[in-house]
Amino acid sequence: MNAILHAQQLTKHYPGSIALDHVDFTANAGESIAIIGPSGSGKTTLLHCLAGILRPDAGAITLNTPSAPLRLDTLGDAALSRLRREEFGFVFQQGMLLPELTAVENVALALMLNGTDRGTSESRAAEWLGALGLAGMEQRRLGELSGGQVQRVAIARAQVTGARVVFADEPTGALDSATSNEVLDVLLRSVAANSRTLLVVTHDPNVAARCQRVVELRDGRIVSDSGSSSPASGQADRLAQAAPAAPTSFKGAFNV
Amino acid sequence: MSSLSMALRLTPYLARSSGSSLRETGLRDAGLPVLAFGTVTALLLTVAGGSQVFWSWSDDIAGTYQALAVVAMVLLIIPLLTLGASAARLAARRRDDRLASLRLLGANSATVVWMTVIESTVLAAVGAVAGAGLYACMAPFLGLIQFRGQAIGSHAWLSVPSILGCILAVCVLAAASAALGLRKVVVTPLGVRTRQTADGAHWVRGLIAAVVVVIGVVAMGMLSSFGAFIVIIAVMGGCFGLALLALNLMGPWILRLRASSQLKRAKRPEQLLAARTVLESPKESWRQVGGVAMTSFVGVFVGVGMAVADTMGPGATDETALLVRDINTGVMITLLGSFLMVACSAGVNQAAAVLDRASTLVALDRVGMPLKLMVAARVKAVMSPLFLVAGISAAAAAVLVLPLTGTVLLTQPVVFLTIGGVFAAGFLLVRLAVAAGTAQIGQVLARPERYASMDS
Ligand SMILES: Nc1ncnc2c1ncn2[C@@H]1O[C@H](COP(=O)(O)OP(=O)(O)O)[C@@H](O)[C@H]1O
Ligand SMILES: [Mg+2]
Repeated sequence: MNAILHAQQLTKHYPGSIALDHVDFTANAGESIAIIGPSGSGKTTLLHCLAGILRPDAGAITLNTPSAPLRLDTLGDAALSRLRREEFGFVFQQGMLLPELTAVENVALALMLNGTDRGTSESRAAEWLGALGLAGMEQRRLGELSGGQVQRVAIARAQVTGARVVFADEPTGALDSATSNEVLDVLLRSVAANSRTLLVVTHDPNVAARCQRVVELRDGRIVSDSGSSSPASGQADRLAQAAPAAPTSFKGAFNV
Repeated sequence: MSSLSMALRLTPYLARSSGSSLRETGLRDAGLPVLAFGTVTALLLTVAGGSQVFWSWSDDIAGTYQALAVVAMVLLIIPLLTLGASAARLAARRRDDRLASLRLLGANSATVVWMTVIESTVLAAVGAVAGAGLYACMAPFLGLIQFRGQAIGSHAWLSVPSILGCILAVCVLAAASAALGLRKVVVTPLGVRTRQTADGAHWVRGLIAAVVVVIGVVAMGMLSSFGAFIVIIAVMGGCFGLALLALNLMGPWILRLRASSQLKRAKRPEQLLAARTVLESPKESWRQVGGVAMTSFVGVFVGVGMAVADTMGPGATDETALLVRDINTGVMITLLGSFLMVACSAGVNQAAAVLDRASTLVALDRVGMPLKLMVAARVKAVMSPLFLVAGISAAAAAVLVLPLTGTVLLTQPVVFLTIGGVFAAGFLLVRLAVAAGTAQIGQVLARPERYASMDS
């Protein structure tokens, strides 16, 4: 197993509470990992630290890149921001898409921020939307899409740049259970088909059951970790096989 | 009105209960509306004080001066109303969490709206009093301005009742526009949201505008038949108002056309975002920058026209020459004033807009959108319509006086330099105000947990 993201003795305090208490954690390339635990146990804090959104008070975070390992905890704000848009993808419960943009523009924006020209960005964004079941809805604005469709746009946005790690914080938290399942399917399949690493914070046991590995937090500590050779991995392989076939022009985006 | 009395009882509680958090964020957020209302009040008092002397004259030419003073006031009142509405929205937004929790505690929507109106009126009152102070400081310098060859001197001082009346008027306008502006804001137990309404900017607006212009032209044509001088002034003021109305109908439509073409050509992310921001609500964009349209037109038209009249020299009487110079002075002051109004309103508007979508900005920061780019997109969304509006108006005026501009350019380049200087100063003012408004983005991102409660 090759580690892609590694955290050592991660600690984060807030006035009056300790959100992360000397956490050691390693994510392997291509794994799907569910982070579960009661509310306030530090799930979001862990995710944000690993993603370079929050700076830990103590501890080291290392991202293995093709060139050299990168220490996230020592990078400046601008470098972290760049890392987030180039190496990582995000799916939040809501709020990360711009309501005044169309679906395709929202997805293309992620590429444009990395310097891709607009034409290429929009055509690749449209391919992603098509692959995630939103063909024909490219020109709709967010207000004209259902909650589940909006989350598909977010999933496309998270991966269109070829992110190596996708972070999701309660991605289905605002959806009903049927839609929730569909969206989860789309997320897991597209991530697996592109061999990306997925870290998903969730309350939902169904979500956890469908990930290869489940990590449980309590009071800022990891109290259980199913490890990467869990029985659920068989299911993930099945998912990968059932993944939507990538259009040829897609390969660039899929093969990062 | 029980919701009003409830609001009256709750509002001071809201201000007191926030204690340290009010000191941290409330005062800073309140600064912008207070500053804006202060500037506006100072400006109104300055124009009123500067033109007061006109009403003490009773000769033939006095009427012309009085008419011009009325026009200047009309030009400044409209942006004032816009400002009032924006300030109220900002007041609602910066109280977001507390207003929402009051709703949770069972206060009804009307109570919450009343509280915001009261709060925004209080901010207006504080600003208006400060503005009156500013005016008092400026009055000695104002007295140095010359009309009809004489410094206005002590005429620059308004009577105390007039000043109080002006403060009261600003408060009333602030309250009224706050109430109107809040129609678009929904306070639910979950937070404060701006209601999204489909915002058409249809070509029908162009048609209505044309009809309005025709009515104005006809009325102006019949002007001489109206006899009484005061009626003529009223009709002129009315026609001027009609012209403004026509502009207001057409403005959003023009901004939309332009933003559509910018959207098609956009290459960089901030260009795309700025064009989409304008398209999202061309009316809102127009409200922010429309105030300079008429004044830009008048500024160039009168500025150039008067300069030409000035060069006619020997033939003109002393009195005419003085009138020419005075109109120029007044027009330039009004032009700068209208830029000042637009600047205030744009600054307040941006601050409100930033707080409005704070949780989205936090999310965008998290996915790696640079702060610089968020700011650049907002700046472009204001400045680009501003340049367009000022440019079109100035160009329209220039075309009308085109037969004259050529010679003026040769004989009096200083006229162009003056007008150019006023425009440059005006653009700079707006740019600074927008910078103050968008500085809120940095503050939002510095305390993301206040705004990003949705994803935990
Ligand atoms: N910005 C903050 N300020 C103060 N305390 C915080 C902040 N963010 C999180 N916490 C605290 O840290 C702990 C972990 O929070 P979080 O990571 O959001 O938990 P989870 O996502 O598991 O619900 C909680 O006790 C929470 O109250
Ligand atoms: Mg959380």
